[in-house]
Amino acid sequence: MALDFNQLDRRRFLRGSGAALALPLLSSQVPLLAADAGRQVNPKRLACIYYPDGVPMPLREDPVYQDWSWFPHGGGTEFTFTKCTDVFEPLRNDLTVLSGFSHPAARKVHGHRNADQFLTAAKIRRDGPYQNSVSLDQVYAEFIGDQTRFSSLVMSTDGGIGTPRAAQTLSFNRSGRAIPAEQSPKRIFDMLFVKSDANAARRLANNESALDELLEDARDLRGILSSGDKLRFDEYLNSVREAEVRVQKAKEWVNRPLPSVDREKIEADISPESPRRYVQTMFDMIYLAFKTDSTRVATYQIGRENGAGVSDRLARAVGFNLAHKLTHETKNPGGWKNLGKYCRFLNEEFTRFATRLKETPEPAGTGSMLDNSLLLFGSASSAFHLSRNYPLVLAGGQNMGFKHGRYLNYAGDNPISGAWRGGPEPYTKKVNHEDQPLTRVFVTMLQQLGMQTDSFAGATGNFSELLS
Amino acid sequence: MLPPRFTADCFAKYSFGFRCLCAAGLVVCCLLAPNSVYAQVQDAKEAELGESDVVTNEQTSGFVETQSGHRQERYEKRIKPLLKQACFDCHSGDDVEGNFRVDQLDPDLAGGEDTEWWLEVYSVLSKGEMPPPESSELTDAERIQIVEWLSTEIQAAEKSRRSRGNRSSFRRLTRYEYNYAIQDLLGVPWSFAGDLPMEASEEAAFENNADSLHMSVKQLETYHQLALEALRRVTVRGDRPPTVHWAIPMKIPFQREKRALDRDIGLVEKKLEGMPDELSAEIERLTNQFQARADRSHYLDLSTGVRANVDWNYRKASFAFKHSDAYEVMPELGSHFAVLQPGGRAGLIVELGDKLPDEGTMRVRIRASRAEGVDQLIPSLQLHFGFRATDQGGASQRLSQQDVKIQAPFGQPEIYQWDVPLSEIEHRNTYRGEFELGDQPNPSEYIRFANSTVERDGAENESPAIFIDYVEVAAPVYDEWPPQTHRSVLIESKNSHDETAYAQQIITDFMTRAWRQTPTTRDINRKLQLFRRLRPINTDFQEAIVEVLATILSSPKFLYVLPGKQDERQIQVRDHLSQHELATRLSLFLWCSLPDQTLLELASTNRLKDRDVLRRQVDRMLADPRANRFSKQFVGQWLKMQPLEFLRPTRGDDGLDGALLESMKQEPIALFADMLQENSSVLDFIDSDYLVVNERLAKHYGIPAVRGNNFRRVSLPISQDRGGLLTLAGLLTMNSDGEDSHPVKRGVWLLTNLLNDPPPPPPPAVPEIDLSDPEIAKMTLKERVEDHRNHAACLACHQKIDPWGIAFENYDAMGRWRDQIDGKVVDAASVLPSKASLDGMKGLKKYLMQHRQEQFLRATVEKMASFALGRQLDFGDRAGVTDITRRLRDHGDGVKSMVTCLVMSDLFQTK
Repeated sequence: MALDFNQLDRRRFLRGSGAALALPLLSSQVPLLAADAGRQVNPKRLACIYYPDGVPMPLREDPVYQDWSWFPHGGGTEFTFTKCTDVFEPLRNDLTVLSGFSHPAARKVHGHRNADQFLTAAKIRRDGPYQNSVSLDQVYAEFIGDQTRFSSLVMSTDGGIGTPRAAQTLSFNRSGRAIPAEQSPKRIFDMLFVKSDANAARRLANNESALDELLEDARDLRGILSSGDKLRFDEYLNSVREAEVRVQKAKEWVNRPLPSVDREKIEADISPESPRRYVQTMFDMIYLAFKTDSTRVATYQIGRENGAGVSDRLARAVGFNLAHKLTHETKNPGGWKNLGKYCRFLNEEFTRFATRLKETPEPAGTGSMLDNSLLLFGSASSAFHLSRNYPLVLAGGQNMGFKHGRYLNYAGDNPISGAWRGGPEPYTKKVNHEDQPLTRVFVTMLQQLGMQTDSFAGATGNFSELLS
Repeated sequence: MLPPRFTADCFAKYSFGFRCLCAAGLVVCCLLAPNSVYAQVQDAKEAELGESDVVTNEQTSGFVETQSGHRQERYEKRIKPLLKQACFDCHSGDDVEGNFRVDQLDPDLAGGEDTEWWLEVYSVLSKGEMPPPESSELTDAERIQIVEWLSTEIQAAEKSRRSRGNRSSFRRLTRYEYNYAIQDLLGVPWSFAGDLPMEASEEAAFENNADSLHMSVKQLETYHQLALEALRRVTVRGDRPPTVHWAIPMKIPFQREKRALDRDIGLVEKKLEGMPDELSAEIERLTNQFQARADRSHYLDLSTGVRANVDWNYRKASFAFKHSDAYEVMPELGSHFAVLQPGGRAGLIVELGDKLPDEGTMRVRIRASRAEGVDQLIPSLQLHFGFRATDQGGASQRLSQQDVKIQAPFGQPEIYQWDVPLSEIEHRNTYRGEFELGDQPNPSEYIRFANSTVERDGAENESPAIFIDYVEVAAPVYDEWPPQTHRSVLIESKNSHDETAYAQQIITDFMTRAWRQTPTTRDINRKLQLFRRLRPINTDFQEAIVEVLATILSSPKFLYVLPGKQDERQIQVRDHLSQHELATRLSLFLWCSLPDQTLLELASTNRLKDRDVLRRQVDRMLADPRANRFSKQFVGQWLKMQPLEFLRPTRGDDGLDGALLESMKQEPIALFADMLQENSSVLDFIDSDYLVVNERLAKHYGIPAVRGNNFRRVSLPISQDRGGLLTLAGLLTMNSDGEDSHPVKRGVWLLTNLLNDPPPPPPPAVPEIDLSDPEIAKMTLKERVEDHRNHAACLACHQKIDPWGIAFENYDAMGRWRDQIDGKVVDAASVLPSKASLDGMKGLKKYLMQHRQEQFLRATVEKMASFALGRQLDFGDRAGVTDITRRLRDHGDGVKSMVTCLVMSDLFQTK
């Protein structure tokens, strides 16, 4: 765990090892009052999980439509899962399937560039200067981050930040800068539970002394100010004092013993070469981080867009070679089924993770951990790299007021589907159906997580349909 | 002509376009927002209030108070009856128009609370806006009587308030000032403001407005983090890193491309062996087929005339050139060239692989010339950096700040060089070191040369091509080790073996420069103590000392505009600035940064008091390149150019291409800088017989014979309806809605920024104009505006705004002149509430020159003074502004004179 990017050599920094877990000191904004001792307060957690390239959406007349469509058949509470999604069935009443949502600014981008704005809703130009904006998880981390040892956990199978327009992280800071994701379960495990971080301790010691010094300077200066100027200057003075409180808080975290987790049960050395175990282990990391209340915010990008990375080989979990290729081969015989099997594998692992949360009673609260964890799981492509009608599952968070057991279909009667057989790609075509802005779901998520906000990425409005 | 299409969202922010401006009575919005304290119309009435009145008003505040009984009586007797007759019908009692009661205003302007309301009354009366003309119960004589009473009271109150003044410009540095200050301190023009948030300035104010510059814990932590980063960037560790070299004669890529042709020729040579005629015919056919188009960028073998396509693909890094550890001397001029033509998106990509370091200087040198026989035309060249790791994943950015003019004649090429700080490149390829060169994702990076010469349609017969025969790259290049930046922080010392003594020396030196004052022993000792505390936690001396120095940069003594020292202030006259305060204010004004050594020395020896010395300092500072920051920051904020940043270039023949957009953003700044340099009249902002343009804008405006991408002053052809600020393409574009002109925006912009007479803001929740109404849909824009305005509720506000905007109607959404809109002749005639008619832009300019000259000058002085002082002006500053405006007129209205008059004024030199 390295707190200070500058202490790392720059390449390590660029690749992002070690930045995945940030101490609250460096990223949280609003210091919260600690809950009254003795009163039980349920934590509110957020995890966002993303996979690239979309899901099977065969045409209605295709014989495999019934079995291998990703979206369920039916709607409201009356719906049936397909072979692709039937693994969700045991959690039926803990999740909501959404269709017909997307980010308005990103509806015309090629599906290969979707991961960058999945959690930010930014408008990112095809070329030229690259500017992203803050991601959903980091908005929440700014709010809640100093309640836990780490303000957030940022993970991806491919690691680092990738490149502009081909991100390998879902998380972006307030300035729109990519936050490097961690890809090694072992390193995450060590950061969470094994190594107390000498670097962080030193950084905090340096900061503590620096703040003392700034306070002295500020007092000197205040002495020669007029009374009106003193009033204005108190903002600085108060900021130093607040910063000192935050350093103390961070120091407490550093000094507090790491939670003990039975190492024996964790196969942290695993790599994507063993795809299923790897994905399971990454989910385990979120589970453990949540369970030990090491953080309340996590993102996991299961794969980068457009293949070309280690994540592409996760398809071997179900006997295929490359995941991205499956989305291109849906025009071939059996293509939908193959992609469906791969998506089913991802759904299965997500379900395993959610089920573990459900089976674990909230350590110091009420209900299950799932009831206090809001999970967003999905992709930003639907029919062949079309950046609309995102396939999404919202799970958990019942203690935050979410109502589940439904398929909320806003995609209309006849969403664009079918394989791509050459010619103009679906994303270039004119679409008449207007999706719901996904930012509205984000706003409701943030509101139920306890934030007072009515907009995300400049778009106002929430989606109270999701609530009971 | 098709209207240009901009991305729609950029306009949403500032589009109160065709909405009803007010539903519940317009006076409400006027009078609820008395924010236009300075909204003075200097019409004939005000001109009458000359020096003579000032004499009678030379009263101290005490005198005003003792006289207040007398004043009260005069008001009750003479003025109130008039107001009662003219205003009370609507503005008294409980049920009032605009929530504004004239009957309750406190007639004591100097001591009362209602001064700003009175100014509003003064403004509407003197401009003839109130009482409503159709129901006026006020004779001209009566109107003059009230106005005169008010102006006398206002002047008396100005004096009184001024002497009681308790205003302060105490504030922190703005984001841009912080950046410049660190640049000046550390000696490199890099970006240091990183994650600092943008200033949230209020609508009317400048970013440096003391009231809106706040501090939060997050911001404080960011300052500390940025200080550490800045110091680590300018210092180095260990031995000089080895330099990697690339030596690339254009023969290499030419031959790489020609290999395909050679292979094909080889095949036919075998096939047609013994058939020389067929063979040579076939070779000729193949060669012709291979030949690249001469009007696109290509590789050329001058000896054979063979042209090969400039090709590039990121995959497998197969286009990457080899590097070496040693420098190779540039060979004699060969016969192979890369010939760069303007246009086209690729340019010449020179792929360098994955060996460019993260930090240090990348030095790029090329040998280049113009094309053969070119005499007049001087092509321009840009340097870019980029990479492509996967199909979608990549980035590119321009590295060169200014285009390089390629002046060398063909056959006598010259060396052109760029030094690029690698750490300033925003996006590097993060796969370097992780993947092998040629892997997918590919960790390779490239530089790219682009011919940025403006393309003119057929008018030019000279070739704009640039001939490059050799490219050299070296990185990291350190001309010295350790570099100067390092040695200016970690100064050389004979004490360097003794950590404490060395630390003391470094701290003293750095603190003196950063805080612009000799540090006290107490300051030094405290930092030394800090060093002693930090030293054991950090691994070495350098790490610890950097931590200490970072506290000097995060200290309020660096971040805030400090008041003078206690002892210095004791000799101050009332609220006059101390010498150091004056130096700081001057420096922040003209350099947007902290004072340099010269200013500090003059301040400490008390010589800035000398008016000649001060005047010479203004001259010196304006002649310094740092004065460009003043032009950039002041003009951008004065003219509220921020919306231009939201525009995105569009493609297509009629689009807002990148070069045009960039030129539009630059033009107002270049115009101001040029006028400042030449001390041209401030009135030239209203109309002038010259423009300051580059070639791209000249093309946009239809002005011939302007070559190159640098801005320069050109005389305006008589036939051109340009000149001054009003017709600048960028400002017209900004005040459009992307599809068409926007008279309301243009009117509001003119009133707010140039005349400092902002109309009230639109009330919330006004209905959109109903474009689905066929009657409305077929109207011209002007008709729509007029139709909309004719709703009684909207009238009062819009009749103050729209006529100004309609006068701009001959300029389309990109500021181009037009005679027709959709087949109808443009109607740009309008009538102001004062009944003056404006006949298009010419008429508008004429009206401004004849009737609003004083107002414009005064408004411009107010704007510049507000920027210079770092605070919003208030009532008590009115006399000061009047004084500066008068002096400016005496000195011939020049822009530079305005700066000097302002600096020499009491307003500038007091709190």
